[in-house]
Amino acid sequence: MDLPRETPDWLDFVDHTADAGILVQAPDLKELFARSAWGMFSLITEMNAIRLVDLDRIRVEASDRPALMVKWLSELNYRHVTEHRLFGKFDIVEVGEEWLVAEVGGEKFDPVRHQIFTEIKAVTFHGLRLERDNDAWEAQIIFDL
Amino acid sequence: MQYDVRKLTDYLWELPQTGGMRVPARIYATEKMLPQILGDNAPQQVANVAHLPGIVKASLAMPDIHWGYGFPIGGVAAFDLDSGVVSPGGVGYDINCGVRLLASKLTREQIAPRIRELVNQLFRDVPTGVGAAGALRVPVQELKCVAERGARWAVEHGFGSESDLNHIEENGCITDANPAQVSQRAWERGREQLGTLGSGNHFLEVGYVAEIYDEDAVRVLGLFPNQITVIIHCGSRGFGYQICSDYLDVMDRAVKKYGILLPDRQLACTPVNSPEGQNYLGAMRCAINYAFANRQVIAHHARKAFEKALGLRMADIGLWTVYEVAHNIAKVETHTVDGREMALCVHRKGATRAFAPHCKEIPSEYQAVGQPVLIPGDMGRYSYVLTGTGKAMRETFGSTCHGAGRALSRTKAKKAAAGRNIIREMDAKGIIVRGQSRRTVDEEISEAYKDVSDVVDACALAGISRKVAQLKPLGCIKG
Repeated sequence: MDLPRETPDWLDFVDHTADAGILVQAPDLKELFARSAWGMFSLITEMNAIRLVDLDRIRVEASDRPALMVKWLSELNYRHVTEHRLFGKFDIVEVGEEWLVAEVGGEKFDPVRHQIFTEIKAVTFHGLRLERDNDAWEAQIIFDL
Repeated sequence: MQYDVRKLTDYLWELPQTGGMRVPARIYATEKMLPQILGDNAPQQVANVAHLPGIVKASLAMPDIHWGYGFPIGGVAAFDLDSGVVSPGGVGYDINCGVRLLASKLTREQIAPRIRELVNQLFRDVPTGVGAAGALRVPVQELKCVAERGARWAVEHGFGSESDLNHIEENGCITDANPAQVSQRAWERGREQLGTLGSGNHFLEVGYVAEIYDEDAVRVLGLFPNQITVIIHCGSRGFGYQICSDYLDVMDRAVKKYGILLPDRQLACTPVNSPEGQNYLGAMRCAINYAFANRQVIAHHARKAFEKALGLRMADIGLWTVYEVAHNIAKVETHTVDGREMALCVHRKGATRAFAPHCKEIPSEYQAVGQPVLIPGDMGRYSYVLTGTGKAMRETFGSTCHGAGRALSRTKAKKAAAGRNIIREMDAKGIIVRGQSRRTVDEEISEAYKDVSDVVDACALAGISRKVAQLKPLGCIKG
């Protein structure tokens, strides 16, 4: 997916008292996974400041599709925290019911250029929804901050 | 949502045992607080917890109850060790999130001229989160010692002193931690985060003793009017978050394996005595110890920052540990139920242990007044020191509230803060705030939180804790 400059119209923030959530719309499943990742990182940092310096290939597996979304976003958050990286580009190469392969782009966190708004403790199953309505997909994901 | 709520006393309400509930659900609150509490799904969550196998007496909620993941925040549930369950959802992602109170020899007047330098120094010296300079980088092998030894590990490595340990729940080290049950991912997440505050509602606050309610107790705790205090609120960082996530997966499978019927999938649990239960308890205790060590290291950084900013010697500053409590935890404790002593697995999720005077678990010097309890409020108002009571031992497994609870979502808080300069507003009120980002500070504005004094008063009126003192903020650093 291309990098939006501002909060895109396919992304909304869910009002949850304790935590934060995103509501993502997409024309297909690949884009739904890609946009959800972009939405998550937009909670963490200023997306426009991320340069696409390095590229990674990631494979994730889970027991079903909702769990796949949680695993995918958890994997990216894990790499962000342990490798101090920020991701800004997400291309889903292939996606099945229980697995996906993605190419993700980003760079190392640089305290001079990047601001961290929050940490994400966990991607939760709370209120998790992945739905298809004809040609449109929608996902709701709640994060524990 | 409509609830069938029955009044038991002026400060205790019950959802009777119906359907699959094994015990009733009980909520501590004043009548004034009730409409807001009944306005969301949290009471249903208290009732859902009452369905779990082996739950004893009642599923309880403290006055700061709000909607959580499966279990409500502000929930207390105790399970029989033989027939009961343990649930990671009943502890939360931030295992052993908790609060430490430090008290100094200094008065408000003494630090007033240098408060700005002090808060700036604290902001420089206490690391917050991702990529933060100053965090300890501990190899995984050493981290296993942290997981087994807790705050004691920190003291052995030069962070604070032996006298801190006596004034921490469990003396800063819970036994039977089992590093073998912790995933590689948890070690990786925990490796670079020891001694860091984290983000969200975590903070370090410099304040002063503003009001005293219990003269005897403040004397015993070493508090006095206008005394400078420090509150540290944080937990087990990525280490604990990962352990919780890992074991939610395990529990999902265990629920099927043991045929446990749940009203909500997020209550996933396993028999305490099952291999899965014992493994979770072993791993969770590692995170409990990590959090104890984390706050011990942060307390050390805070003391050093006071020395640097004020140009005083530690002997003249003080900053001893009054007490440290956990408010996201599951522990095996002995309680008297229907006249019989029982070993129980007590889950406190957004609830604080509040043991009565003369309990053997509390330090000898506090025996006469009971266990100190620290209830942080929002960054603009006040926090409270309470003590535990005999009534808490009889009614709530020795538990009380843990904080204010949010009134506004983060989105609504940001809207409320739009066009305002919150840091400048706080400054004008005499509270110096430093945060990693303006967004964090905006999300944590005072009005985003309920008034913690309502929560504390409800606990005091219900008799499950006693009010000792009120602390007001002078400076706050946020991740």
